Amino acid sequence: MDFVTLGGNLLGTIPLGDIVLYITPLSLFLFIVLLVFTLLIAISKTETQVEATLMKLSNTNVKVGKKEFKQRRFLSVICGIASAGAMITGDLFNFTLFMALIGILNIGIVSAVKQTTVLNSAYQYGLIAMMCSLPLFGGASIILASTGTLSLAVLSQMPATPMVVFGAVLMLLGILGESGVAPFFASKAEMFRTPGSPFIVIIHLSSLFIIVRAVEILLLVLW
Amino acid sequence: MKIGKIWNKLADPKTVPRLFAFCLGIILILGLFVPMALNPDQLYTRPAPQVQIDDGLPIAPYDRGGVVLKEPGIIKAQFPENSKELGMITGYMSPLAEWVSSISPYFGTSIYSSPGGLIDEVLYYTRGFDTILESSILMMAFIIASWLAINYTMDRRDIEKDLKKAANDSANVAREIKINDEKARAKQLRRDN
Repeated sequence: MDFVTLGGNLLGTIPLGDIVLYITPLSLFLFIVLLVFTLLIAISKTETQVEATLMKLSNTNVKVGKKEFKQRRFLSVICGIASAGAMITGDLFNFTLFMALIGILNIGIVSAVKQTTVLNSAYQYGLIAMMCSLPLFGGASIILASTGTLSLAVLSQMPATPMVVFGAVLMLLGILGESGVAPFFASKAEMFRTPGSPFIVIIHLSSLFIIVRAVEILLLVLW
Repeated sequence: MKIGKIWNKLADPKTVPRLFAFCLGIILILGLFVPMALNPDQLYTRPAPQVQIDDGLPIAPYDRGGVVLKEPGIIKAQFPENSKELGMITGYMSPLAEWVSSISPYFGTSIYSSPGGLIDEVLYYTRGFDTILESSILMMAFIIASWLAINYTMDRRDIEKDLKKAANDSANVAREIKINDEKARAKQLRRDN
């Protein structure tokens, strides 16, 4: 399928050697929304959860310490920028690299929380993210071997051979695992159950946007 | 089994990596049956196997010709209009590599033979953005690990109590060892006499 059918007219390209980023109305919109959200996160403060205290009438506030707050804000801003970059990238391997970067930042954002259940599920997610590097990069390399190119502009003009379909299925599995969609949701959904709302939300938002973009890329490659 | 029970099992984070590994294994096994057809028109062209070795070139399977900064070597780019100076440093080798290749015909097959400037052109010229991303993934991993290491193992507030406890423990262990040692020595002495 062509860019024009999926994302609207081509507004321009950003050539960086063999990696050519391209801008269509769809990708530009996603890019700007993510950057605005990242800006909102960078200037916001974390929420404080109020929990009932056992055997007493008072409440306890679950707060985020200042050091941890700074670390989380830094990581979530980088995560926002990385997912914004994945929105306008025009190269298959570039996209998988952005995906891997987002995966490791997602673990980093919750790596310093005090709740053991959250840490446990982050550990399980880390296992999945580690396994995902095989289908992500393997899928991209199989597509490269069978077509001889990684540029989406060239790939969208090529017919899909069985090997390309296999590479795309591998990539899809990697993206599903890394962004925590349907059968693999549990480990990622448990990671949100901790104070520090706006920073935790970027974990969720980046995977949502990545899924939209991944659908577009797979359509470009397969049709 | 009812679908509700399956969903309940999937909601346990512990089962998710196993399920993922299982799915991945099945797809990889299915991949064995996919017909493999490589594209002969690959981006980074190379001569047929053994051709350069039969010719007796000193940097054999990696010789791509070209004179540094004068004549481009054999290299192809996806979008040649974006990298006009491509191939100019393909033939570059470090002084050490040049010396080794001048005295040995097997330089190209040894562990310290890099394809010279070719890697640099791929990494920093045609696909430079990928290299930036790769190293930033590594940097983020180091930032997370070092922050955790500093704040949760070194910079702990109750470290003095722990140190005192550790010192006590090791002193206890040392005392026990000493007592056992003396006992054994006394026993040995008795047996000798």
